[in-house]
Amino acid sequence: MSRSGDSQPSQAAVRGAAVLLGVVSVVWAAVPLVHKGLATFALLVAICGVVAGALRLALADVPLPENSFLLPTPLRAWIRFIEILRLLPWEEGAVIAIVWLEVQHPAPPWHTALLGAVLVAYLLAVHLAESGASAGALRPQARVLAIGAGLLALGAAAGMLPAPGPGAASALLRLVAAIALIAAAGLVLPSML
Amino acid sequence: MSSPVRPNDQALRGPAAGIEVRWRSSRHARRLLTLALAGVFVATLARRPEFAGLAAPALLLLAAGQGPGRLARVVVKVRPSAGRVFEGEVVAVDVAADLGSRAADFAVRWTLHPGREVDPVGATAADGRTARFTVTPQHWGRRELGTLDVVLRDRWRLTEGHATVTLPRVDCYPAPAQQRTVVVLRRLANRLGEHPARTAGEGIEFAGVREYVPGDRQRSINWPASTRRGRLQVNTFAAERSQDVVLIADATSDVGEPGSSALDLALRGVAAAARAYTEARDRVGVVTYQWGAASWLAPGLGRRQVYRIIDSMLASDTGWARGASVYRLPRAALPPGALVVAFSPLLNQRFVETLRELRERGFTMLVVDVLNAEPPNRPRVADRLARRIWRMEQDAIRFSLRELGIPVVPWDGEQPLDLPLAGYTRRPLAAPGTRR
Repeated sequence: MSRSGDSQPSQAAVRGAAVLLGVVSVVWAAVPLVHKGLATFALLVAICGVVAGALRLALADVPLPENSFLLPTPLRAWIRFIEILRLLPWEEGAVIAIVWLEVQHPAPPWHTALLGAVLVAYLLAVHLAESGASAGALRPQARVLAIGAGLLALGAAAGMLPAPGPGAASALLRLVAAIALIAAAGLVLPSML
Repeated sequence: MSSPVRPNDQALRGPAAGIEVRWRSSRHARRLLTLALAGVFVATLARRPEFAGLAAPALLLLAAGQGPGRLARVVVKVRPSAGRVFEGEVVAVDVAADLGSRAADFAVRWTLHPGREVDPVGATAADGRTARFTVTPQHWGRRELGTLDVVLRDRWRLTEGHATVTLPRVDCYPAPAQQRTVVVLRRLANRLGEHPARTAGEGIEFAGVREYVPGDRQRSINWPASTRRGRLQVNTFAAERSQDVVLIADATSDVGEPGSSALDLALRGVAAAARAYTEARDRVGVVTYQWGAASWLAPGLGRRQVYRIIDSMLASDTGWARGASVYRLPRAALPPGALVVAFSPLLNQRFVETLRELRERGFTMLVVDVLNAEPPNRPRVADRLARRIWRMEQDAIRFSLRELGIPVVPWDGEQPLDLPLAGYTRRPLAAPGTRR
């Protein structure tokens, strides 16, 4: 797929931003390194997901021939590699691995909230890079994103509140309250926008 | 983002087609859903509310992005700029998606997948309800221009509707070679044309001076000659006649590099000759010879005849025998006294026999040899010997044709046809059995 020359610098910038945000989110969730609960495996999956996603974006403009029967083996291997890059959901795998890495840490809630913001930015940047849209395409979603950031902060604040009492029931109560708040916002706010 | 030239909406008056749209969630939506589910799952499992907060923006985006209902069908208008083109010419395809009252709800993206032997010119993807793509067919034949993928996206790009449009077919004509001069028979039919004949007539080419006889026009008196000789002398002019030309395309063998094979050269040569002879006001017809049979088009006049001739040849491109045998062609296909110009690699013995047969029937003939390939040069002695024998056979075929009075001129397809034919266009070509 060819693109016009004017939009190429901005497209490169968006792709670069997506890669950087992916790297930041992996580093943010992985440091300090822990060695429990499949954290090493999750780190490996996260790195693979971000790198493969970056490669997919970088090679998005490479055309593939309709038929590869008569092509030499190295070229067929290259085509197969690009097809696999475009087929698998690398970013989804990276997101799951990063969230799993984060849960392994006894990190403060604001740390997780910041990770959430970076992850959402990463997914939006990936979307802009692969669709070729400009950042202006996100303008209609600005209010929703702002409310989402508010809910993110609210979730972090709920995590930082001291438990009303000791035991698992208290923590569960806080969780249910946070989920109920988010669900209510998700149901009500879209109709108001 | 690619932005091909925007076509004029008014220009899109081609046939409209309602195409079913297949809807599915976009990759963006799937990624957001993954983040949301992972956050909620971890929050529940670890009982940490901040992970529920992590899922909140993604959930909110998914919930807020549920736009209006989906379109079941989309009407796509496709209009190519031409239905018939020559090789290498550019065809512009204007496309427009009619979304009706829902136009503001969806963004449209077009992606072109060119067909075989069709190259895109410029961008192959475009955004917007209307777009223009340009392609160029690289090889003659009936060519599918390709397919066009239409992707409808909602405002938040969470769902995508996919549809595929098959672009129309165009007839791609072989690019005619260059030919300006024509071979003219010595004996021309008694029909008004543009070739000066040997007989006197009402043409414009000066033929000579003779003595005035009652009835001659006064305006044709040659006063200087009359003064010199003391008697009235009048100018005479050559009559202008036309000829019938039958072009034979040998489609039995297709050897050589694709794009410049013997069949490619034959078709390009026939197209060039048809154009040159029709411009000289000759009646031109064509016989396409394939595997012992032939399809034919009777000689005719005018520029349209050139397209009819090429259409006739393309219609014969089936790779198998159709139509009448060459020996049974009617007089309309091979008028007596016609000039026969054959474009052939002379690889088919039956075609060579056909040429001999036509010669014995009294046709004045000329063969343009379009063979530009040889068997591969291999180091084995037997291969080299076979190659040598093959060459000798080819030389013998050409020699035997020349001995029968059929000139054979080689043409490589790159130089103008005027060059190999130069020896026969300078003076009229004698009919068989006549002396020059």
